[in-house]
Parts: sequence; structure tokens; C-alpha cells
Amino acid sequence: MFLGNLASLRYFLPEFAVTATILLLVVLHVVTKSPKSTGSGFLSLLGVGAAILLAGVSPAGAGRSIFEGMVAYDGFAVFFKVLTSLATLVVIFMSMDSRDLAGRSQAEYYIFLLSTLLGMFLLSSATDIVMLYLALELVSIPSYLLAGYLKGQEQSTEAAMKYVVYGATASGVMIYGFSLLFGLTGSTQVAEIGRSLAAGKATLPMLLAAVMVAVGFGYKIAAVPFHMWSPDVYEGAPTPATAFFSIGPKAAGFAVLIRFYFTVFAAEDPGTGLWRLTSAVDWPFLFAALSALTMTVGNLVAVKQNNVKRLLAYSSIAHAGYMLMGFVLLSSAGIEAILFYLVVYLFMNLGAFYVVVVVSNATRGEEISDFMGLGSRAPFAAVVLSIFLFALTGIPPFSGFIGKVYLFAEVIHRGVYWLAIVAALNSVVSLYYYARIVRAMFLEEPKDASAIPVPAVSFAMLVLLAAPTLILGVYWEPVARIAADSVRMLTF
Amino acid sequence: MGFIDSHILSLMTFLPLLGAGVILCVPKGKDETMKWIAALASFLPLLLSVRLWFAYDRTLAGVNVASQFQFVEQYSWIPSINVEYFVGADGISMPMLLLTALLSFLAVIGSWRIDKKIRGYMALFLLLETGMMGTFIALDFFLFYVFWEVMLLPMYFLIGVWGGPRKEYAAIKFFLYTLAGSILMLIVLLALYFNTTNPETGAHTFNLLHYMSQNSHNAWLKGFDVRIVLFLGLFIGFAIKVPLFPFHTWLPDAHVEAPTAISVILAGVLLKMGTYGLMRISFPVFPDVTVYFALPMAILGVINIIYGALCAMAQSDLKKLVAYSSVSHMGFVLLGMAALTPLGMVGASMQMFSHGMITAMLFFLVGVVYDRAHHRQIDGFGGLGAVVPVYTAFIGFAFFASLGLPGLSGFIAEQLVFLGSFPVFRTLVVIGAVGIIFVAAFHLWALQRVFLGPLNPKYATLDEINGREIFCLAPLVVLIMAVGVWPMPVINLMNASLVRLVDLVKAVI
Amino acid sequence: MGGFPATVDFSNPYFAVLVLLAIALAMSVGFVLLSQALGPKRYDRIKYSVYECGVDPLTPAAVRVSVKFYLLAILFILFDLEVTFLYPWAVLFRSLGLFGFIEMAVFVGILLVGLVYAWKKGALEWQ
Repeated sequence: MFLGNLASLRYFLPEFAVTATILLLVVLHVVTKSPKSTGSGFLSLLGVGAAILLAGVSPAGAGRSIFEGMVAYDGFAVFFKVLTSLATLVVIFMSMDSRDLAGRSQAEYYIFLLSTLLGMFLLSSATDIVMLYLALELVSIPSYLLAGYLKGQEQSTEAAMKYVVYGATASGVMIYGFSLLFGLTGSTQVAEIGRSLAAGKATLPMLLAAVMVAVGFGYKIAAVPFHMWSPDVYEGAPTPATAFFSIGPKAAGFAVLIRFYFTVFAAEDPGTGLWRLTSAVDWPFLFAALSALTMTVGNLVAVKQNNVKRLLAYSSIAHAGYMLMGFVLLSSAGIEAILFYLVVYLFMNLGAFYVVVVVSNATRGEEISDFMGLGSRAPFAAVVLSIFLFALTGIPPFSGFIGKVYLFAEVIHRGVYWLAIVAALNSVVSLYYYARIVRAMFLEEPKDASAIPVPAVSFAMLVLLAAPTLILGVYWEPVARIAADSVRMLTF
Repeated sequence: MGFIDSHILSLMTFLPLLGAGVILCVPKGKDETMKWIAALASFLPLLLSVRLWFAYDRTLAGVNVASQFQFVEQYSWIPSINVEYFVGADGISMPMLLLTALLSFLAVIGSWRIDKKIRGYMALFLLLETGMMGTFIALDFFLFYVFWEVMLLPMYFLIGVWGGPRKEYAAIKFFLYTLAGSILMLIVLLALYFNTTNPETGAHTFNLLHYMSQNSHNAWLKGFDVRIVLFLGLFIGFAIKVPLFPFHTWLPDAHVEAPTAISVILAGVLLKMGTYGLMRISFPVFPDVTVYFALPMAILGVINIIYGALCAMAQSDLKKLVAYSSVSHMGFVLLGMAALTPLGMVGASMQMFSHGMITAMLFFLVGVVYDRAHHRQIDGFGGLGAVVPVYTAFIGFAFFASLGLPGLSGFIAEQLVFLGSFPVFRTLVVIGAVGIIFVAAFHLWALQRVFLGPLNPKYATLDEINGREIFCLAPLVVLIMAVGVWPMPVINLMNASLVRLVDLVKAVI
Repeated sequence: MGGFPATVDFSNPYFAVLVLLAIALAMSVGFVLLSQALGPKRYDRIKYSVYECGVDPLTPAAVRVSVKFYLLAILFILFDLEVTFLYPWAVLFRSLGLFGFIEMAVFVGILLVGLVYAWKKGALEWQ
């Protein structure tokens, strides 16, 4: 059933590509005279590009368990590998353009970025609780370093400190939950744990373990009440790193949440395609409450924000809440909706952050007041940011609307109407704060009317991010099919 | 010709979008070119609408029978969730399509004097026109919803960038209000999707015609309480657009702050979408709940009539007065619809068409005086009739049309509504008729204060109405008089469908 | 909701441990709280100052420890764990064959790159 180490190697090629790139970056950094060159940026691009190609070229068919059951290789994992690699690719471009990072050592930044990517690869495919923990730490620790990258700035250091303390606590609680599961079932294999738990009846330690594990995953996706680190970290970290946090670890967190909960706490009912949760606690209500809380807190607090990065941080908390709607009944359609939303969210969110980078390069500021009059100072950037913000709100004809429709559809189909109403109200609230930025850009006069340059690479990247946001709003069939296939291929 | 005929609705909808795309590519600074492209892009749908008028078969009813819709185009759009690009026209949508085409073109001409950011203005306006046309032709609920929402964005910018002193407030208020209603609509949309099946394939569908056939509803959807909740959800969404008291508070702000041409479109077309939605979706899909709520709807309609008129009387801003008069006139539409008689329904639809034209005239005219005097305070004027007699003639005509003078289209519409509703809602119709007195009162009082009486010396040298402005008004004048004297062509257009609609709803009694 | 709250099995030996834990916790926390609640609170500057063998405090209580100790400890952990992995590998060296050799070589190689990095960055300098 499990593939041995030697035979598993050929399924591990994307990870090899990333690892090799990291090592080359270290060597480059040590060998090179000036640590501030952009050679490391290009090398990272090559590495991540290679990883995408290798991940995409996947042997078809049902998944298999590799490395003696530590890691799974299936369509679900491949989906997340490609998704996170794409996010990293865009972030690398963003980092090369960012003035924040320009004066600092480049190679180390990319080392951290790619290490996080490697962690995300492993996190999306881990099927053993030890591997899971390792992968989560591999995602978290370089993230701490990325958050604190701007060494001289107090905000950045504060962000890193908060991230470390919070992350360590959350991981600690999570590993305790894992140890309880190991104690109950005698196995570290997630599938084994699932089987033993399905056989026995629900006990208090098992429920406790499930909750503790949820703490760890909830921290990674910044769900309420595990979200407190998110605004400070997003605000203090360099903007490209913030953009990376908003999509990369979040997507990987969702991957592991889905995989773990499907395997351990659900058993498929072949009749309805709906996963029955083998437990005594009302899981659907619990997840629904978590989802509602997350989106509400995220949206309501975002309304008060004046710093665009902080606002986008709270908005990404809210979006995690929307995505949790698909998780409420652990149905295949719900998971498809989450995967679809992650794809459109990648483009919308990274696009918005990219414009923030372009603007802050010129104005050195990240407040909404720095965006005033952007419509006349940088019309292309302003239009494109409006597209991204309205897509994040979820109005047609943008892709964000389609993503929300899938999530809403799942919740309404399963009859959890109150959650749909909460999400609907939240969408209206979110319009208010996204529109504040749009209003500043178009409806208000700038303090300083000089034009803001948009470098060629940034321009190209913004077009590449805006295009799917527009196109997927009108024709999204291929992405929906990919999401559906990825869920079907989920193995344990 | 064949291609045009078989795709006429899509052409009418997407030619403006194409125009917007072309405008975006015009080099910077060529404002005149952009305006002419926009004029062309909105003129072509008008031409096509003339073809539509002649090609439409007035005997086919449509409403809930797919084969009786005309100019149908049906393509699979997103197969995995059964969304189709399904469009068609019937008697309910025909008058609206013609109205939209006409008013959009006139509004573009009316926007000729906009001086800043022409590119954005024209592109957004054409996008808005696409959204409006698309809403009226869509027969797939998802498609309908997309077009409905597509209208929001351009309106936000058009009001917020080119509007009056409180434009940002008005714009965001409009956007939030309408979005809230739309999201409710989305929930109902999804609830309908999951609980109906396509009779041929057994799969879920967004096809409105399938929703209208009650046997495709599943057991849950047949429960009356569920239907009440869903109907109310849709009703609130549409009521915000109409606008019905108490969801009307966005209207005065939006209308007053919007630039002239946008107010024309807002009042002339967008308000009609609320009642169109009720006729197209709410009434046929939930006929039993419609009958259940007929009286409350009629009461709301009459409240609109009276409240709108009284508020209008209290206004000192001319544009706000016209805005509230719109609220009042839309009350007639709802009254006629709630009566559920063929006469009442025809009256309602006629009022939608007629009021569209009348209110468009009114807003154009208010815009004319605002352009010259830079304020709209009624008491700030006086005796303008002596200085600008042609303008006074036009606005006098418009005011008389608005208060329902016999011989003009407003009278026909209101009378049909009363004739149709009186058998059903005796007292309410009496109250509504009394409301007409208030309507007449505020119109005549405003007319007197602004144009008659002693001349206000400040405006002794006011410019007369010019050729371009007359060009915007003349077609409306002609149509209002024509329909007022000889309404049968328009009534024939909508009659078959509206009778079928009433029969469909009444069938459950 | 079967099984929640869980039924308590009184004959379980760990139950006694739980009771002991509860009493110990209650006593220790209780005594501290009691003394805080019932004891006199008279502020005296000398009483609240830091104890430093009876003399006046020379430095503030929160002394800044040089970060090089931490750096050394981290490097030690990393390479010590590397050695930890080397031991079982060494024991099973023959049966793991060529694959095992290459695998360990890669492992040591990666850590070697890390060592070179630390070396070049000056982490191995004491001052």
C-alpha cells in the first residue's frame, strides 16, 4: 500500500526542485560579493517555475501514499502545490519590485520564501501527524523570519515577535492534540487514526484532541478566535511578505484542515456524497459558528481601519470565514467551492497587494490617505485596484462573485440558511470598506498630484492578475472542473 | 438581416459594451471622438429597437411558455452548474427594451456638456446600458442576476465622480442599499436553484420558465411558509429599486446628486426594474403568495402615491421635487399590479413606460435650468416664463404630463390603473385618486413659483433652451402626446403577455 | 450526544492521581491567594527591591544576556541532532546499502551547506 523510499522519489520532484533552489541560494549568498543583487530573485523564479512544471506533470489516476505513508501524492496535493507555487511566483516578482526590500540582503529573503513554499508542499500532502507537525513548523518558522525581515523597523520586529509567540502557542496546543490522538489510537498515521476512531465510540479525549488540533489549523488560516496575530503581522511585515501570508500559508492551512478532518472525523456515505462526521459533537454547527464569527469579526473591524495593509489583513480574515462556509458540512461540493475560491482569491488578493506595493514605493505610505487621487496619479493602477477590490466584495461580473456563489450555493443547498444570511450581510459590510479605498482613489483629490510610475514588470504582472479576475467572472468552467477533479482524487 | 434578427437582443445588449471597449482605446484628449462613439454605440440599439417594434408578433404571449418567446437565444454557458445564456422578449419586456434604448441614446446626447474624464463617463455609461438591456432580456435567473449587479458599479462611479456636492455619500448609499437587496435576491436564487428540477433532464436549473411551472418545485419549495419567506426576500430586493416606502430613502439623495443624464436613466429605467422583476419573476414563480400579499402590496402602492406627493410638496429643491414625484408615480404601478386584473396590469405596465418618458423629460428640463442658474431652489426663481418662453412651454408640458392631464400618456396609464383596481380595492383607489390632487398641487405650485408671477431680476438674461437640449426632449414630447391620444399600439404590444400573466397568477385561486 | 460528558470510572487508578493533582493545585493556588488576600500590604522600598546577596542591586533585574549564547546553543542543537541521526544509520549501514549511503550523504550535504553559511556569516566567531 505504501511506497518505499526509493520508489517514492519520482513523485517528490517539485520538492527537490525547491530544495535545490534553496541550497543554491545559500551558496550564492555565501559566495557572492554584494548581497543586494537581484540574482537570487531570478534564481528563485527559475526554481519555483521548475516546481510548477514538475508538479503539473503528474501521473494520472488515483493517488498513492509515498514515503512509507508519510506523504500522499494525489490530485488534491498537486492542486495545492501548483496554487502555492503560483502565489510564490507572483510574490517573487512583487519582492523584486518592492522598495522596502531593495536595500537589504536579497538571497536570505528568497531562502525564507522558498523554505515556506517547501513547507506548504509538505503541509498539503502530509498524512502522518508527525509529518504534519513538521510541515506546519516548516511553514511557520520561515514566516516568522519573513515578518521580521525589515530589521531596523520596530513594527517589523514587533510583528515577528507576536507571530513567534502566537505560533508557538498554537503549535504547542496542536501537538498536544496530536499526542492525545496517538495515545488513543496507537498510530501516527492519519488514516489509521480515522479508522480506529470510527470503530470506537466518541470519547472526551478524542473531542478534546479534535478541538486542540483545530486550534493549530485555525491559527494558520487566521480564523477567529485564533486570528489575533494576523493584523499586526500583516501590517509590520514587508508588503510582499504580507501578500504571501495572505494566500500561501492560508491555502496550505485549508489543505491540511480539509485533509485531516476528512480523514479522521468523516466517513463517506456513498449514497449522498456527503461526509458523515463520526462524532458526538454537532460539528456542522461548530464550523458554521466559527465561519460566521470569523467573517463577522473580520469585516466589522476592517471598517475602522485606515492602514490599507491592516485593512487587507482583516479582509483576508473575513475571506477565510467565507471559505469556512464550504467546510460546514464537509461535503465534496463544499470542498470544491473552497478550492475554487482559493484560486480566484489568489488573483484578487495578490493583485490588490501588488498595487499597494507600487503605490507605497512612490508615496512611502500605506494609509488610505496615500491612495487619494490615485485615479489621476496612476489611472491604470487605480482601475486595476478597483477591479480587485470589487472582486473581493463579490459582485458580478468579477471572479470573486462566482467564488461566493459556489460557497453560498453549498450552504443553501445543505439548509444552513442563517449562515447564508450572515454571509450576505457581511458582503454588504465589506463593500463599505473596499469602497472607501475606491472612493479615495477616484472621488477625492490628491494632496500631491505628481504621477506615480508603474514599472513595466509591475504593469505586466497586474495585467496577468487582473485578466483572470475578469475572465473567470464570465467563463469559469475549466477552474470549476479542476477543483472538482482535485476533490475526487483526495486520498489518505 | 437573418443574423441581426436572430441575435437582435444580444446585439442590443452588447453593442454598447463594444462601444465602451472602443472608447477605452481612443487616445487621450480626443473627447469629441469619444462622445460620438458613445452616441453611435447607443444609437445602434435604438435602430434595432425600431426593428424590434416591427418584427414583434403581438399575438404571442410568452411569460411562461418557452415557445412563445420571441428573438430567443439559448446557449449553454457553464454546463457544470446548468447556467445558460437564455434570452428572449415578450410583452412584459418589450416596452422596457424600447424605453431603455430611447432613453440611453437621449441621455448620451444629454451628457454632451460633461467636461471632465469623458472617457470614463462614456465607458461606464455604455456598460450601464449593457446591464440594463441584459436585465430586461434575461430568462435565466443567474444571467438576470449578473446583469442586475453589473448595473451597480457604473452607477456608483457615475454618481460619485460626476455628481453634485454630496455625491460620495449619495453614491455609497445607493450602492449599499441596492447591494443589500441584491444579496437577498441571490439567496432566493440559490434556494430556487436547488429545489427545482428541469423537467427534461431532472437536473437543477436556473431557467426562469422552469421555475414558473409549479410541478418542477420539490416538496420543500411547495411549503407555503417557505414560499412566503422567499417571496419576501425577492420583494425586498425589488422594492428597494422601485422604490417602495420604506425602502425609498436612497432615491432623493441619488437623484439629486447624480448628473442630469444619469438622473434621467436612474428615474427612467432603473426604477422600472423593480416592478419588472416583480412581473417577470415574483408573480409567476410564487402566484399563491402574490395573491396572499395582494392587499399589502396595494396598500404600499397607495402609501407611495400619497407620501411621495406630500414629500414633493414640501421640497424647495426642484430636482428633489421631481425625485419624490417619481416615488409617487411608481406607487401607481404597484397598485395596478397588485389588483391582478388585466386592466390593472396593463395600466401598471403603461405607467412604467409613460412615467419613464415623462420623468426623463422632467430631469432633462431641471438639468437645463441648473446648467444656467447653477442652483435649483424653487424660491430662488420667479417669473421665468417671460424670459425663456420655449423652455417654459416644455416644462409646462412635462408638468402637465406628470400630473396626468388627459391627452397625454400619464392620464391613460393612471386611468387604466384605476379602472383595473377599482373593482378589487375600492377604498384604496379612492385614496389614490385623492392622491392625484396632491400630485397636481405640487406640480402647479412649483410651476407657478418658478415660471409665473413677478420676474426675479437676477434671471432677466437667462439663456433660452438650445437645439441640443430640444433634440433630447422632442422625441419624448412626440411620444407622450402620441401615446396619450392613441395608446393602442403600445397596449397591443403588451396585452397578450399581461393577460397571460394575470391568468397565471389567478389560476391558483 | 453519546459519551459527552464522559462517564468517570472511579476504579481507574489514574483517578486517584487526578484527585491528588486537584488537591495539590487547590492547595498551592489557594495558599498563594489566601496570603495575598489576608496578608498585610505595607509598601516598603527595601522589601520590594531585588535580592542580590544583601547588597544594593548593582544592575536592573532583567539582565540582557548576550545573544551569542543563544546562537551557540542553536547551532549545537542542529548539529547534535544531525549526529543523532547518524548513529542509527551507522548501526544499520550494511543493510541500507547504496541507497542508504546516498541518502545520508545528501542529508549531511544539506547540513554542510548550512554550516558553510553559518561560518561565512560569522556565527562561529565567539566575539
